[in-house]
Amino acid sequence: MRGLKMVVILSGGAVMAWLIYTVLSSPVPLLAWLQHPESSWLLTQGENPHPTTLRLPPVKPLSAVALIGRKLFYDPELSGSGKLSCASCHNPQHSYAPVNALSVQRGGADIQQFGVRAVPTLTYLYRQGDFSIGPANEALEDVTLSDKLKHSKLVKVTRKTTLNTQISAANLVPQGGLFWDGRADTLQQQALGPLLNPLEMDAGSTKILADKLAYSVYIPELVQLFGPAVQVDRNLLLVEALFALSRFQIEDPSFHAFTSKYDAWLQGQARFTPAELSGYLVFNDPNKGNCAACHLDQPTRDRLPPLFTDSEYEALGVPRNPNIPANHDQHYDDLGVCGPYRTDLKNQTQYCGMFLTPTLRNAATRQAFFHNGAYHTLNQVLNFYALRDVAPQNIYPVDTHGKVDQYNDIPATLRANVDVSDAPFNRKLNDPPAFNAQDAADLIAFLRTLNDGYAGAH
Amino acid sequence: MTLCYAPRFKYIAMLTFASMTLQGCLGSSNSTSGPAPAATPTASVSPQDALATTYPIKHVVVIYNENVSFDHYFATYPTATNPSGEQPFNAAAGTPAANNLVSANLLSNNPNFTNTLNGAGAANPFRLDISQVGTADQNHAYTAEQQAYDDVSGTALLDLFPKYTGSASAGGAGAFGTTGQVMGYFDGNTVTALWNYAQNFAMSDNAYTDTYGPSTPGALEVVSGQTNGLQLIATTKQPFTLAAYSYYINDNQGGFTLINDVDPAHDICSSATNQVMLSGKNIGDLLNAGSITWGGFMGGFNLSTVNDNGTTGCGRTTYSEVVRGEVNDYIQHHNWFQYFATTANPTHARPTSMAAVGYTTVPGSTTVDPANHEYDVNDFYAAVQAGNFPSVSYLKAPSYQDAHPGYSDPLDEQAFVTQVVNFLQQQPDWKNTVVIVTYDDSDGWYDHAFASTASPSLDSQADQLNGAGLCGTGTAPNGMNGKPVNGRCGPGTRIPMLVISPWAKINYISHVQVSQASVVRFIEDNWLAGARVGGGAFDATAGSIVDMFNFSGSGNAPVLYLDPTVGKVLSAPPASSTTPVAL
Repeated sequence: MRGLKMVVILSGGAVMAWLIYTVLSSPVPLLAWLQHPESSWLLTQGENPHPTTLRLPPVKPLSAVALIGRKLFYDPELSGSGKLSCASCHNPQHSYAPVNALSVQRGGADIQQFGVRAVPTLTYLYRQGDFSIGPANEALEDVTLSDKLKHSKLVKVTRKTTLNTQISAANLVPQGGLFWDGRADTLQQQALGPLLNPLEMDAGSTKILADKLAYSVYIPELVQLFGPAVQVDRNLLLVEALFALSRFQIEDPSFHAFTSKYDAWLQGQARFTPAELSGYLVFNDPNKGNCAACHLDQPTRDRLPPLFTDSEYEALGVPRNPNIPANHDQHYDDLGVCGPYRTDLKNQTQYCGMFLTPTLRNAATRQAFFHNGAYHTLNQVLNFYALRDVAPQNIYPVDTHGKVDQYNDIPATLRANVDVSDAPFNRKLNDPPAFNAQDAADLIAFLRTLNDGYAGAH
Repeated sequence: MTLCYAPRFKYIAMLTFASMTLQGCLGSSNSTSGPAPAATPTASVSPQDALATTYPIKHVVVIYNENVSFDHYFATYPTATNPSGEQPFNAAAGTPAANNLVSANLLSNNPNFTNTLNGAGAANPFRLDISQVGTADQNHAYTAEQQAYDDVSGTALLDLFPKYTGSASAGGAGAFGTTGQVMGYFDGNTVTALWNYAQNFAMSDNAYTDTYGPSTPGALEVVSGQTNGLQLIATTKQPFTLAAYSYYINDNQGGFTLINDVDPAHDICSSATNQVMLSGKNIGDLLNAGSITWGGFMGGFNLSTVNDNGTTGCGRTTYSEVVRGEVNDYIQHHNWFQYFATTANPTHARPTSMAAVGYTTVPGSTTVDPANHEYDVNDFYAAVQAGNFPSVSYLKAPSYQDAHPGYSDPLDEQAFVTQVVNFLQQQPDWKNTVVIVTYDDSDGWYDHAFASTASPSLDSQADQLNGAGLCGTGTAPNGMNGKPVNGRCGPGTRIPMLVISPWAKINYISHVQVSQASVVRFIEDNWLAGARVGGGAFDATAGSIVDMFNFSGSGNAPVLYLDPTVGKVLSAPPASSTTPVAL
């Protein structure tokens, strides 16, 4: 009897010791263990404690319009050089992003001109809303953009962390739209940008483009779909072609595949490795990466898969990139929402330096990061997040007097726009960084789970 | 009714659907769809089937959808474009011609294109592709629709739709991006199910709203034929003027007439600031007097239902691909019977049981059922499955499926309509059922047909069809107090109306002029020996829809199962179509 009791005590002690070891060695915070022990246990095993069934875009055969759009997407005849198609920069094998590590891509008549901004992916834009400023609130439908602009100067900025994205959404901030500055609302409008840009596809003019279409192989199908008017009205012909391009991007599943390991994990069909789990926790830790504050990583209540962006705009103060030829002019500043390529908000200086927060899905396959392509590896990107404020000398140029030119891609008078309130940017000079090198390595492991094409995907 | 024979499920079912299970297991089950292992079908006749009727119809099911003009869905019927890759539609030989944009030769040189008053929105009718189902909501206010019909010259020109009812989609291609969008029409590659129903059953090409205007007037016409007798319970509005929009006018006899949308009073989901009631009677009152079972079944009405996104109550929502966001399931200002004190259920009280659905008092007792004939659309499916199929059922989809532009689309609508029809066609009582699919208003979409104004109105502000203060000529129709009242100008806009029944004529298009109130008349003619609502209601003058039926035949129009997603004909009912839910 006494022996048995001893065995129980001993084995009980062993179980307890093992439990304590498990909890302490787990990357899951102790508080989470205390509040949600079962979930914490599953998470420590790499499992999603709350798997769900994601509401994925309906998979249907492409419409006739989208089929035309697909042909247009790959058609180099639309460009001035006759050599560039949409797919030249938006390569389907690279998540509709560039294949190379150039900060900006080549285009123009001789394909030797450089663009001014890094080429973003065309994926995961199917839920992107129109550009607006302010909370997405039905009750404010009648308020004009300029009303909201007036209002926005009065609203104090709420500190944004992973814990209160709901609250910060109530702030009046730019959101939605396409391009780095949101100047297009629809994929149809967006398509015309690169086509006409002399540094990109350089098609010349809408007239030249429409005339090309009028003698193209697309005419019979466009006439069948949109009527004989497209043969008479060249402008209509052009917009219907742009519409076709947008339908291809909306309907073709390759633009929103949701076949990443993370999507499988969300649905209880994959396990994180220990590094991926640690990275996931740093990503969500409001005092460390705090990444999920803007790069939303949870399904919505309607089970829509997360897009890893809140579709809002931020001024991060990424260093100037000398590899962009346009930057050789020291009077040239690319200030995103307030210009120079977007022109309607140039007087709204509170938005200068703000650029659209991109999706992080497939970001680990990219080789140029941020609007100006200043960085080429995820490690460099995370280094920027960790050191921007605590060791800016490692990020920005230092002059001969040892003075750091912090936020050097934004004019001095506008540098107050840079976000210094949200972790990991809420730190002072010489503070310890919000996350360390191991955290960064783990974050990269996690970010790789966002790449489409996971072998174990459904 | 396999529930009855599987003990494990029976226990669960008893907890949740006690009465349904009891009725199905013990009662006079006439709901023996699907496998019925040991059941001995009894020959007993349901209370509905036992009622004497004028026609061989024991169940009328009205699917009342939102905001479609006839030409918006049938402009080129029966010819579809059939682009490669899209659901093709090929008409049967001998399909009759419809009065549409093809037969009227209005696809080009349309007066809405040539009239320069339409400005940049001037456009010929154009095909809306399946890739364009997310259209903008057009203007369908009482006055704007009259202005679009442009009868100032004494000849209705129907040439100012872009100017008065047109609405654009920002960034849209061509006319889609201007007020010319109002000229857009779908064809059988998009509204495939409705075109297939028209091929196999009967359709009217001469059905109109009873008056101009939006949803609430339309909701009232299909149950009461009357928009006069408006009682303002709470309001922030003055009577309508061109300068200040409102939902009512003075009727010129000391009362009010409803002309636009407003919430029903006392409904706990309604706006607190603007609420109205109607003082007249509706078809529900007449059916109650005749002890005939009936119900209004609306998406979102059951406030205790929790959707899988966690929403419930008045704010229950469903995710819609159209808006890429959530849409409220219940819309108060569509709720026909809620505007009448005698047929309202302002607290959304639940029926005592599925066996009580359709009844004023719980069957077998004198207890008044709290639901008062007002139910959720899911109650319709549940009651029918439990063998309790009311004589008259008005169905409203949860809003994301009601076809209303801006938050629903023709594909979501198709899913709802086919779900209801596929389900009913598998019921034993399909043999004496008719489904009427029609609409509360046209949304303001272009339609080329005009019915001369039979019901004039002369409000100096709201009426503009024939110039300021003029909609038609002659004496306005009598209102609730038996004297001519303003605000009921019509017929209004042309809407689709289909009759789906074994008793329908096959591949038939009726040209007999009918209206929303013709639905009321049909119910009265079938069950109530032609009694009428009275008080000037339009059921007294509305045309008859019987031209769409072949009552001298044997009721053998074949069932037609359609795919809920693409609307194509199926050889067998789709999976789970015997147990539908609205979500």
